Amino acid sequence: MGACALGYAFVSAVHEGVAEHLETVGSGAPEERRDRPWRVIVWNDPVTLMSYVVVVFRRILGYDLETATKLMLQVHTEGKAVVATQPRERAEVTVAQLHAHGLQATLAHD
Amino acid sequence: MAEIRARGSVIEVKVDRREREALLQIVDRVLPMVDDSALATPRAYVDDVLEAEFRRLSGPDLDDTRAVDLEVLRSTLRTQGPIELSEDQAWSWLRMLNVLRLALAERLGLAEDGWEERFSQRQHRRPPLATLHLLSWIQEELVESLPEI
Repeated sequence: MGACALGYAFVSAVHEGVAEHLETVGSGAPEERRDRPWRVIVWNDPVTLMSYVVVVFRRILGYDLETATKLMLQVHTEGKAVVATQPRERAEVTVAQLHAHGLQATLAHD
Repeated sequence: MAEIRARGSVIEVKVDRREREALLQIVDRVLPMVDDSALATPRAYVDDVLEAEFRRLSGPDLDDTRAVDLEVLRSTLRTQGPIELSEDQAWSWLRMLNVLRLALAERLGLAEDGWEERFSQRQHRRPPLATLHLLSWIQEELVESLPEI
């Protein structure tokens, strides 16, 4: 079996690494927790046109027509939708672009 | 009435002299509402400290984009002869129109979906609602005229 070739020490080291990472995530300072992916959320507003939201999603997030339309409808009917999950810096760029296009976008993570 | 359509690689905006002047006046009148509008300048974070840092980093870029968009909208409206927008210029129009619409809607207290039904046909045909509808119409036509992505 290929897995045996890795040896116990390697597997154990990986487990320790994961455990250490989880500890960091669970109890670490806010700066450390920021490394986890952030959700980019777009919120409904009363005037922005549905067709405009679709083209903005396609342009900024690179979605095809079907995905962009699905997300737009989710924003419209449910009041919000997670449109992307990205590392913090990337997510901030995405939100800034959405704001520049006049969309209500926020960042959140667990 | 104005007409907007794709023609080759440009988007042609057919508006007569009176319509152009009306649009420039609308821009001048609605623009001061943008700074006071929460919808036109939304928050990225709930947390005040994170929000301040986000504003510090991305604020200047947002201001630059809006300044360019505004200049493109105004200068193309002042063009002699037909208005022909490149795709980038069309996006400047789209972004600025959306920001103006948000600020105007907020000023008019249109906070919920379904606000259209609160008003009579007559109210919809007169300013300020008619102004909002005009901007919406132009934005919709521009979206329809964008080249396929």
